[in-house]
Amino acid sequence: MSIAGKSQKSAKFRCNRLLLTAVLGLYFIYTFIPIFYVITASTKTNPDLFNTFGLWFSNDFHLWQNLRDLFTLYDGIFLKWLRNTFVYATVSAVGSTVFATLAGYAFAKYDFAGKKFFYALVLGAVMIPQTALVIPIFLLLSEVGLLNTAWAVILPSLVFPTGVFLMRAYVDDAISNEIIDAGRVDGAGEFHIFSKLAFRMLMPGFTTVFILAFVANWNNYFLPLVVLNSPENFPVTVGLANWYATAVGGTGGVLLYTVVMAGSLVSILPVIIAFLIMQRFWQGGLGAGGVKA
Amino acid sequence: MSGTVTKRRPKSRVIISKKIAPYIFLLPFLLFFFAFLIVPLLYAFDLSVYKKTLVGGTRFVGGENYVKAFTDPKFWDGVLTLFKFGLMQIPIMLGLALLFALILDSGIVYAKSFFRVSFFIPYAVPAVIATLMWGYLYGPAYGPLTQVADALSLPRPEFFSAGAILPSIANIAVWEYMGYNMIIYVAALQSIPQDLEEASMMDGASAFAYAAKIKLPMIVPTIIVTIIFSIIGTLQLFAEPYLMINLARNVINTSYTPNIYAYTLAFTAQQINYSAAISFVLGGVVAVVSYVFMLAVNRGDDK
Amino acid sequence: MDKKFELPPMTFGLGRRQFLKTAAAGAAMPLLGGLHAFGQDAVNLTFWAWAPGSDLMAKEFEKKFPNVKVKVENVGQGGPHYVKLRNAITAGTGLPDVAQMEFNSISSFKALNVLADMGAHGANSVKDKFIDWTWKSVSDGDKVYGIPWDSGPMGLLYRADIYEANKIAVPETWDEFAEASKKYSAANPGKFLTNFGIDPGWIGAVLWQAGARPFKVDGTNIKIALNDEIAKKWANYWQGLLDAKAVNTMPMWTAEWFAAFDDGTNASWLTAAWGPAVMSGSMKNSVGKWRAAGIPQWNKGENISSNWGGSTFAAFTTSPHPKEATEFAMFMGGDPASGRYWNEKQFFFPVLKDLAADAGLMGIKYDFYGGQAVNEVFAKAANEVDPSYEFAPFQDYVNTLLQDELNAAVGGKGTLAEAFDRVQATVTAYAADQGYTVT
Repeated sequence: MSIAGKSQKSAKFRCNRLLLTAVLGLYFIYTFIPIFYVITASTKTNPDLFNTFGLWFSNDFHLWQNLRDLFTLYDGIFLKWLRNTFVYATVSAVGSTVFATLAGYAFAKYDFAGKKFFYALVLGAVMIPQTALVIPIFLLLSEVGLLNTAWAVILPSLVFPTGVFLMRAYVDDAISNEIIDAGRVDGAGEFHIFSKLAFRMLMPGFTTVFILAFVANWNNYFLPLVVLNSPENFPVTVGLANWYATAVGGTGGVLLYTVVMAGSLVSILPVIIAFLIMQRFWQGGLGAGGVKA
Repeated sequence: MSGTVTKRRPKSRVIISKKIAPYIFLLPFLLFFFAFLIVPLLYAFDLSVYKKTLVGGTRFVGGENYVKAFTDPKFWDGVLTLFKFGLMQIPIMLGLALLFALILDSGIVYAKSFFRVSFFIPYAVPAVIATLMWGYLYGPAYGPLTQVADALSLPRPEFFSAGAILPSIANIAVWEYMGYNMIIYVAALQSIPQDLEEASMMDGASAFAYAAKIKLPMIVPTIIVTIIFSIIGTLQLFAEPYLMINLARNVINTSYTPNIYAYTLAFTAQQINYSAAISFVLGGVVAVVSYVFMLAVNRGDDK
Repeated sequence: MDKKFELPPMTFGLGRRQFLKTAAAGAAMPLLGGLHAFGQDAVNLTFWAWAPGSDLMAKEFEKKFPNVKVKVENVGQGGPHYVKLRNAITAGTGLPDVAQMEFNSISSFKALNVLADMGAHGANSVKDKFIDWTWKSVSDGDKVYGIPWDSGPMGLLYRADIYEANKIAVPETWDEFAEASKKYSAANPGKFLTNFGIDPGWIGAVLWQAGARPFKVDGTNIKIALNDEIAKKWANYWQGLLDAKAVNTMPMWTAEWFAAFDDGTNASWLTAAWGPAVMSGSMKNSVGKWRAAGIPQWNKGENISSNWGGSTFAAFTTSPHPKEATEFAMFMGGDPASGRYWNEKQFFFPVLKDLAADAGLMGIKYDFYGGQAVNEVFAKAANEVDPSYEFAPFQDYVNTLLQDELNAAVGGKGTLAEAFDRVQATVTAYAADQGYTVT
């Protein structure tokens, strides 16, 4: 029996187990050190930041003051940035994921004229450097008067070719043609089949693509940097980078490194928490996507 | 299956035929895809065949910008830098990702899900912040690693020297994206059905050997996809070196990678047209490298 | 139609663009028109600036000119700010009415034909209030492209404690400075008299002081002399210090760079009049140990300074309210109360003659500088700036090249003199490519 077999080898098993866990533990330390630095830096006063060891706390615990500064400076604009980031990331992620799911489903389950052409176009799009697109997008948005609005960030972000690619693979894997055919035989329409039968089976893939899109948009820097002018429209990435430049330039006055650090900490926490909460639901989507590709 | 199901539907709901349905499913995506990818791309191409100068204005120049790009040493130096970068960073990143994925999949470690999630977390850190963190850790005079070296009377590590800058940037990229690739591998490994009893019989070493021998070949397609995405990502490298310019000015310049070069041309040299041409040539390089890699993989398969 | 929706004359852009703009403005009209239905004279100005306190002073302006509302936006500091301006110019829409513009950027934006001539709206009436060289730098005869805001005449900040302990006399000439540097670093390895960090603004300023005049622009003719004898002499001077390892090469403006001044790794900083405030705001351990002196001279007995940084208020041709924009710029830069605010609260060095001559203001003693009245040192320097230095109409690009090539030289790729040769060759080709006649 397996239990007997296991106990015979248990000493060796435990030894290997400890060894491999230690290997992972080492990499965890590597992963955590930079984040730990942001945590300790957020709790320091500005002089302590440069006068005490970077990877430990100083005696003067200054986190609450830094957070208070962070949320009250310039009439609390940081809170606005957080809200903007949340709105941009959520709307872009929901939209791009829905579009990618529909498109992926079409590519996976239908034969139609132009299918190969369109799919090649989508794949080829992944290879285009962002810098090539940003200037034309900027010029186009300015022509329709959308610069410096939320739409300038959201509309271009609704295009997520990687999502289409992942969803196509996931649909292939998760939904058999029999199910769809059975639906048709039952007299269900194509949309009915998708919304009532297929979509629920696609939830893990949908969640995966949503998380990837959400993270990508939460961290987006280049596009909002170019298309937004007013600080009240900035997402956290652009706003913090701006503050950082000011703090470094030495002209910031009240703007300090430590506040920028506290801002960095606050801005990455929501995404980390979202990962922890959602991790059960989503990883399935990636496996299918990868294997079938 | 042929014909439509419409006639069998008793209800009066509008039913779209199988022929039209895919287009309707595709419509929202394609609409935005064209508006915000194809149209800007055509726009960029249009820009790339003109030349706007401070004196004399705009005129059509045909392929002049492309000819210039093909012979521009700054552009090709950048491409060369990225080749070096990719040859160093991609194997390390994907090698670690694969190793950790196999370890996690063989199920013989403590705190499996803790490791899986925590390795993935750097992916959630914006490049802006990641570079800020590592820039501080690398600090040549006051960074903590220097402080540790000083305390131990060791020579100070020089992360920003000419020889070390590429590995220093590669390290940030590994830190950011290893977990992302690992998660993809873990998911791929888990989707392979396996004999549970057989697995539970094994001790750590043989479970790992089993995974490496039997399962690894089964996720080769996944590995190929991650390699291609890594190649594309590498050739578009921008944020990390760009944000580090001010920390390592002696070794990172404004044409360090082709994307930084394109950015500088467009935003400080007022050469939008030439910048567009550079971007297109870079896109071409990406396509060629990806294609050559696929070709090599396929040839390997045939043998 | 309300006046504020009149379109400015289009100097760039396409007809279609103009049409779309008109359409967009028309669509926005009912809303905005409703808001301002009763204030028929209400004028809205947008002002882009990163200098702290800009919003406060804009409020003061609004008190004095109640019919004008000013929206202050910080779109980025330095580089990003100009990128935004240039993007708006490319797009043909989105420029503010007035923007902060450093002295060395004026010629670049002038070359793009977007700077409004404020002289046509009465700016010359304040001309005599300004220190001569600052006004010369922003004007061309009666044409005025910016109202000076603050300036940065060059001087030397040094650590009196370190100079004293090592018996270093404050250098009067560059030769003395080099000698002291070599001696100090030889006796104290890893310590330096100063830092050779490559900020293109700083490079320009010290070259200016050495007598270099790299650009001479006359219409579409341009003279480029980036590697002339003066530049070479200057390059060889610093190369000598680099080779002797007698100068630090830390990148500027990093946290480490500031810390190096605080802990005595770098004992002095060749800097501008705004430097003292930057320094006192960033140091923690060296309080009271700093002093200011004049910048070293190339020939003993001379008194030649130059300028690094400093800003102006520039208005754009796209503004539908050039009159109000000019009034705003004149108030922000030329009003004695605003000048006083910039100096006292933000530590900007004044551009107004009255303030620079105000004994009370210049005589303020700072504890950080051991009770020295540092402003007096820089006020003297302000009178020693030769205004004949010109910036390129593509100065940002030149700066990028200087930064790339000089840094490469510091990093070991050839000498500084060779780097200047490379910059000269590239800039000459670029200017020709841009349609200039290089003479």
